[in-house]
Amino acid sequence: MKLKQLAITMLAGLLAAVPAFAGDGDATNSTTEAEIEALKKEVQELSRKVQILEQQREAAQPAATDTNREQIQALDQKVRILERQRELDKEDAVAAAKTRPLIRLDSSGFTLGSADTNFVINLHGQVQLDSRTFFDDHNLVNSGFLLRRARPIVSGTVFHDFDFMFVPDFGGSTVQIQDAYLNYRYRSELQLQGGKFKSSVGLEQLQSDLYTFFNERSLVTDLVPNRDLGVELHGDLLGGVASYAAGIFDGAPDYNGTTFNSDSDNDKAFAGRLFLQPLKTTDLNALRGLGLGLGGSYEDDHNGASGLTPGYTTDGQQKFFSYSAGVVANGTHWRLSPQAYYYYGPFGLLGEYVVSDQQVSRTTAPLGSADLQNTAWEISGGWVLTGEDASYNGVTPKHLFDPRNGQWGAWQVVGRYEELKVDDKAFSSTLPFAVSTASASAARAWSVGLNWYLNRNFRVNASFSHTTFSGYTGTFPAVPAQPENVLFTRLQLAF
Amino acid sequence: MKTFLKILLACLLAATADAKEIKLLNVSYDPTRELYQDYNAAFTRYWKAKTGDDVVVSQSHGGSGKQALSVVNGLEADVVTLALAYDIDAIARQGQLLPADWQKRLPDNSTPYTSTIVFLVRKGNPKHIKDWDDVVKPGVVVVTPNPKTSGGARWNFLAAWAYALDQYGHDETKARDFVARLYKNVPVLDSGARGATTTFVERGIGDVLLAWENEAHLALKEFGADKFEIVTPSESILAEPPVAVVDKVAKKHGTTELAKAYLEYLYSDEGQEIAARNFYRPRNETIAAKYAGQFSQTKLVTVDEVFEGWQKAQKKFFSDGGVFDQIYQPE
Repeated sequence: MKLKQLAITMLAGLLAAVPAFAGDGDATNSTTEAEIEALKKEVQELSRKVQILEQQREAAQPAATDTNREQIQALDQKVRILERQRELDKEDAVAAAKTRPLIRLDSSGFTLGSADTNFVINLHGQVQLDSRTFFDDHNLVNSGFLLRRARPIVSGTVFHDFDFMFVPDFGGSTVQIQDAYLNYRYRSELQLQGGKFKSSVGLEQLQSDLYTFFNERSLVTDLVPNRDLGVELHGDLLGGVASYAAGIFDGAPDYNGTTFNSDSDNDKAFAGRLFLQPLKTTDLNALRGLGLGLGGSYEDDHNGASGLTPGYTTDGQQKFFSYSAGVVANGTHWRLSPQAYYYYGPFGLLGEYVVSDQQVSRTTAPLGSADLQNTAWEISGGWVLTGEDASYNGVTPKHLFDPRNGQWGAWQVVGRYEELKVDDKAFSSTLPFAVSTASASAARAWSVGLNWYLNRNFRVNASFSHTTFSGYTGTFPAVPAQPENVLFTRLQLAF
Repeated sequence: MKTFLKILLACLLAATADAKEIKLLNVSYDPTRELYQDYNAAFTRYWKAKTGDDVVVSQSHGGSGKQALSVVNGLEADVVTLALAYDIDAIARQGQLLPADWQKRLPDNSTPYTSTIVFLVRKGNPKHIKDWDDVVKPGVVVVTPNPKTSGGARWNFLAAWAYALDQYGHDETKARDFVARLYKNVPVLDSGARGATTTFVERGIGDVLLAWENEAHLALKEFGADKFEIVTPSESILAEPPVAVVDKVAKKHGTTELAKAYLEYLYSDEGQEIAARNFYRPRNETIAAKYAGQFSQTKLVTVDEVFEGWQKAQKKFFSDGGVFDQIYQPE
């Protein structure tokens, strides 16, 4: 286009110059004509050159365009290939992630698992370092530190539906296997568990040691079975609105700190529990945390002395009642435990009543039997001062303990009242199964405390417990001879 | 005690009674999604009419080799409908989930339909691809999946190799060079045939897709004949995708009878019609004749004829360190 414009401009210039020459007279005509001819030739030559140049350019242009197009297409293909390769790499990465084993370390412990989660193993544990300081005890009891619980815990799942748990305990004075069981989950509503585990009767007993309001469970737990060996059908119905458990067990006496790994007789116990949280899934926020239940057990127990409790203990774990020598279990032993809890926001309340009815006999004179009905109840509550929600499964602090940033974890105040009463018939003057000179017939206690949750894994407790006794007529000093006053502390690590 | 046990048993039975639902899992290869969607609907109707039972068939699709490995590793397939017999052999051999002679249990070596390998090119065939020789030319970009994971890709590989053998007087070295040149033109390997179709059709990569015949027709149907063309080479391979009941899984699920019926129905007139409508070549001669117009006629060789069966072919070409590993060099 530029060449064409140049030619037109030159032509216009030449034509404009022609009249100027025309006015110079005849003498100059021939010269002028010659010059015009020369200019014409020059213009024609220029036009020809322009034409050639244009033709050359037009010929060159398509070639250049085709080359560019090919280059662009090739680049486009390369980009597309790279993008696709990236897509495929991502797909491969996702596929690889699906087959990559799970390895996790967090507040729940150490977890190893297969990518499909069909096989999982958790390593976790708990350690509780307590102190108990007794006041005005006339040196009957040693105050001091104790390793209350030290439990490495192995739990997991195999083949997706089979769970297991193994919990030895190195705390206290003896090493025990606390839990060792297998659980088959057909569905959450229907599970079958076998091995050694907590018998499903007492609400407080079934609560994990990690989450109880106080260091020690209350007097009601003296009347329910501890861990037992057996098989249990259990499950959660309607999304946890109802839960049930029913099992057959070797049979365990009223609360016994020491558990066994075998049976000592042919008698078997049935234990079961139904627990309802009727408003759990409703919009009634204030009542969602209400739970009501009934636990119970039955056994025709002729297991002699081992069928009886080794003794009922106080909050400070001091024995205040035991059956006399020569008294044995000899007949039915049933328990019934209506129970409830209520949690709403930072508030938590737990209450339980237990009756333990057992037929006992004397094997020494005077011979005879009796049906003794011992009862206990407790109510305990707590308020999380820092506003976190209280629950049956503990408190999770909103702000983890971090003094450098002014965060102090969660704080909870707790209180409890409890009573245990031994059947009056146990102290009969004509057919005694216990003697008032060695045992009290009742205990009543109140406790207050402060719990500090530094984070999900670490907790510090401090509480004071005051217990009084009645029915004791023995010598002084003795455990039931004066009130028990104990200050508890605990450092707890659980992961 | 007895009462308790009775109650326990009653609870267990009550809980399992409502769980009865006839489910079947068909683990298949990549391009059969549409085929089995149609077929499952027909079969469930047939089974309902025959037995009154409702059956729910689930499908799983992916590269045939990967799918076989998944079944070996625990994917509970009641039936497998894979791209080639070797993959079901692997399930029998490695997983011990069905007998080694599984292929004898249904007609036509348990292959109710067949297919072959064709070329899908862009409309107007700008690279003038007519036969395998054009595919290996420098500058032609070829899309085919990974033979390590895809059954279709293995058929592609063997079809090219068989053609080269014919062209070069059964000279293995030249055949190897021919196929090496082909894979030099392959810029990206998808894990399955459907992925390769996506690469070619949706991502716009490449000049030619080596494809199952049914997959090529499906691409034409779905994305438009104005965008692509099918080119049938002068020689290709008879692809025989087999089917089998996974005995141990079916027995465990209590679905053996149903699984057998599911596969047998593929040979029925309705099953064959559905296969043909989905561009698979039916075994039934009458139905094959009815749909003959939609399949190009070309020379088809078989794996048994040229490669002495899948076991040898797999070991020679696709095992670790095999010919494919030797000739394919990703850029």
